[in-house]
Amino acid sequence: MSEAIAPALLAPGRTAGMNWRRLVPLLLVAPLVLFMLALYALPVLAMLSRSLLEPAPTLAHYAELAGDEVFHRIFTNTLWTTLVVTAGTLVLGYPVAMGLARARTLLPLLLIIVLLPFWTSVLVRSYAWMVLLGRHGLVNEALLAMGMLDRPLRILNTPLAVHIAMVHILLPYMILPIANALRQIDPSLARAAAGLGAGPWAVFRQVTLPLSMPGVMAGILLVFVLSLGFYITPALVGGPRDMTLSMLIAQRVEQLDWAYAATLSAVLLATALVIIAIFQRAFGVGTAFRMSAR
Amino acid sequence: MSHPSLSRRILFGLLAAPALLPGRGSAETLPEVTSIPDSLKGSGEIRVATFGGTMQEVQKRAYFEPFEKLSGIRVRDFAGSDITKIKAMVETGNVEWDLAQVSRGSVMNLQKRGDYFEKIDYDIIDAGVPAAFRFEYGLEMLVWAQVLAYRTDAFRGAVPKGWADFWDTKKFPGDRALLGAGSGNQPELEFALMAAGVPPEQVYPMDLDKAFASYTKIKRDVVKWWETGAVPVQLLTDREVVMTSVWNGRMAALQQAGVPAAVSWSQGLLKRDCWAIPKGSRNRAQAMKFIAYSTMAIPQARLSMLIPYGSVNDGANEYLSPARQEVLPSAPAIRSQLLTYNYDWWVENRDAVTARFNRWLLT
Amino acid sequence: MTLAGRGASVALNSLEKRYEGFGAVRGVSIDIRSGEFLTLLGPSGSGKTTTLMMIAGFETPSAGDIAIDGRSVVALPAHRRNIGMVFQNYALFPHLTVAENIGFPLKQRGVAKAERARLVEEALELVRLPGYGTRQPRQLSGGQQQRVALARAIVFKPRLLLMDEPLGALDKQLRESLQLEMRRLHADLGITFIYVTHDQEEALTMSDRIAVMHEGRVAQIGPPEELYDRPENRFVAAFIGESNFLPATVRGREEGHVVAECAGSLVRATCTTNPAPGESVTLAARPERLRFVDGGWPAPPPANRLAVTVTEAVFVGERCRYVLRTGDGTSLVLKEPSSAATRRRVAGETAEVAWSVADTILV
Repeated sequence: MSEAIAPALLAPGRTAGMNWRRLVPLLLVAPLVLFMLALYALPVLAMLSRSLLEPAPTLAHYAELAGDEVFHRIFTNTLWTTLVVTAGTLVLGYPVAMGLARARTLLPLLLIIVLLPFWTSVLVRSYAWMVLLGRHGLVNEALLAMGMLDRPLRILNTPLAVHIAMVHILLPYMILPIANALRQIDPSLARAAAGLGAGPWAVFRQVTLPLSMPGVMAGILLVFVLSLGFYITPALVGGPRDMTLSMLIAQRVEQLDWAYAATLSAVLLATALVIIAIFQRAFGVGTAFRMSAR
Repeated sequence: MSHPSLSRRILFGLLAAPALLPGRGSAETLPEVTSIPDSLKGSGEIRVATFGGTMQEVQKRAYFEPFEKLSGIRVRDFAGSDITKIKAMVETGNVEWDLAQVSRGSVMNLQKRGDYFEKIDYDIIDAGVPAAFRFEYGLEMLVWAQVLAYRTDAFRGAVPKGWADFWDTKKFPGDRALLGAGSGNQPELEFALMAAGVPPEQVYPMDLDKAFASYTKIKRDVVKWWETGAVPVQLLTDREVVMTSVWNGRMAALQQAGVPAAVSWSQGLLKRDCWAIPKGSRNRAQAMKFIAYSTMAIPQARLSMLIPYGSVNDGANEYLSPARQEVLPSAPAIRSQLLTYNYDWWVENRDAVTARFNRWLLT
Repeated sequence: MTLAGRGASVALNSLEKRYEGFGAVRGVSIDIRSGEFLTLLGPSGSGKTTTLMMIAGFETPSAGDIAIDGRSVVALPAHRRNIGMVFQNYALFPHLTVAENIGFPLKQRGVAKAERARLVEEALELVRLPGYGTRQPRQLSGGQQQRVALARAIVFKPRLLLMDEPLGALDKQLRESLQLEMRRLHADLGITFIYVTHDQEEALTMSDRIAVMHEGRVAQIGPPEELYDRPENRFVAAFIGESNFLPATVRGREEGHVVAECAGSLVRATCTTNPAPGESVTLAARPERLRFVDGGWPAPPPANRLAVTVTEAVFVGERCRYVLRTGDGTSLVLKEPSSAATRRRVAGETAEVAWSVADTILV
């Protein structure tokens, strides 16, 4: 994007004969591009360059990382958490998205309920889960009272607590794109399918689900990439071994070992980019969006 | 990829604010400084970075406001002091703070990597501040303790005293929590060593093999390696653990809320916060005057009356009631039970300990 | 179950659909014969689509019954009714190819893959799109998409095909050619068609019978000619084709006709009811069935006559269109086939018009 715009901005002489109509959109996006470049891309690049340039040009940090057993464990744990959370938000979020997509008069209310967590800080929500999931917390007390348990389960300070809390925090990111994709599906398609002999499950499986895939993919992508960077929630509700990549990065930042922190950040960023690229390839996010836009 | 640091200070302000101000403006009237030497007077302003929250409110009353009146120097206070920000400010030449609340360990750590702080002018510092709190690039101005806390209803009246008891899961059964290595914290190797029988005065320099061997004995019973001060308090309140290490300032709120919990000062760690002036501060001279003022006996006593943290000026105890002294880590009777945290040792060994702790915990 | 021919018979019995007090369909009873092409014709809001949706199973009747081949289907969900359906917007599945779209109903019925492919190709040939199977719906024109939708609706050989304004989104020329194709398909397949449209010309062209719907009820049902020549009420007379409405007063009966006084003249009208003398009635007459008495197109006797003044004359090519006024101020339209041999009248001229008694309907 920047390449397309820079010449127009830097060489006004050459653009003098250019059609103004073509130039205007470029000029309109230019401030945003410059803003992103100056305030986002450049600082990120500067930060990442520390992984290669500190103290002198070197690959030593990457070599250290490759042989760092702690890093391997944490990276695996982070990826696993991300997978579980993504699957959890998908399974729980899809039905909610369907409800949201079908709602008419209840829509504003449902939207507020779905978005409510957005207005509460991650910190407060994580503390709320501490209170709920504890051995004497609401969940355990309720299960005990119903006779489903005879002694309290340990949920808090385990990976399960991390998964529950993260799924809760990230659910809106899964629900909203799916609901949006579902809303864009022509309702007569489901009718047509039923009229052609498809039962409710077949309609869902063969029509609704495939047509909502652009939203599902967008949701998965969002949740996956966001959960890669989670830090506060695992720190608060996780168990002794629930360390995430972000926690490791924060540790190194606090230790003022910014070169290694930058190396870890580069790995985190690369992981996110690889995932996005895989999605682009495997599911053709672009074509899918075109399809749903019909 | 940066994340809001989960520092104990931020959470402190967020979650414990109202309960932490015992008797604000009611029980005791605060002592006042009536005049200050001309050497502490001036003009202009200083920009002070604090850890925010309740602490910042207290600092305002204890010394920002009186200092403004007495010295003629305006104090603009900001929350969110952070050593990494100071590093970035000094490196980019854009120093936005004239003074920052940090820890001696972070100052020394950063100073190891270059010149990030101004030297302290000890000519104007009150004589009541002992040498232990003084160092070249900062002056300690707040004392707190990291101590053992337990639920009083957990052991049928038995009282744990020291870390050997904490490690004794037969005599004191139940889950525990200890401080981990995240968010700029260091694991409590001192406690592990004392649990293994090392006398407090022989803890430093620490024997890492011995400390981790001791840790291994309790590993299964530690359900949480906490990294933010609100967590151990929450775990105690919710009966999630029966014993944990805590920051002493947190306990007042817990006890006021009626949670049956107590601290054992014995074998606790005495830690400190300090003032430091980032290199290149535009109002260095005024900042130095403020450091001198805030570590005088009366301003220190005012702070200790408002929040259960100790003073660095020996003269401050004169202004504090015996009842108040019972909760302050700087009170002689309590301070004698505490082990003074050795920042020098930690500056040298922190990175190695953190790496080893991660490995020990995760693999 | 009685199977009369290849098409299903459908009986709608006092069918009703109410939405929160509003009656969309208010007692519709129609017997649709096996193999019949029945059109539900009416303006929007007349209840025609709701009726169709109830037959398809997408809406549940509030009262009344729907029987297909003598068996009530009200309790059957849509996917169990085995009815072909074509939607106005085609409703092709955008994520499936043309062949997969057409194969969809076969797949639901567990038809094996090879058999499916054969039937799909057969259906494509039937709608004259052979070889289009691998295309995506969005690559096709509107007309092609509708043929695919048609193929999909008949590939599983339903005995009843429902169509909801299937040609509504197409341009006039395409619509006309598809109308003919639908008639051909109907003849070839021999199954029952129920067709919904608001386009009276389409209805007249294709249907065996038309049910004109008005405000949730059937205003009249019958073959196209009958609806056109003998509308039973003013709504049908106005909705199908163009009609002149003449206020008149009944004077008596004569040879099976009603004699009424209209604009000072006595006219005769065909009538199925028996209005009393003195009653005010409305007579309907089609503009193309009025003639100028001296125009060389004498109306076959018995004829009615009226004196008029020409108020407007428009030449439309194939015909001339005149607006006339009777002595009592009623406006009439007269359409005359154009001919170079016919004298064109001008506004202001007086004339006499005549039309057959058989074309005069009391509505």
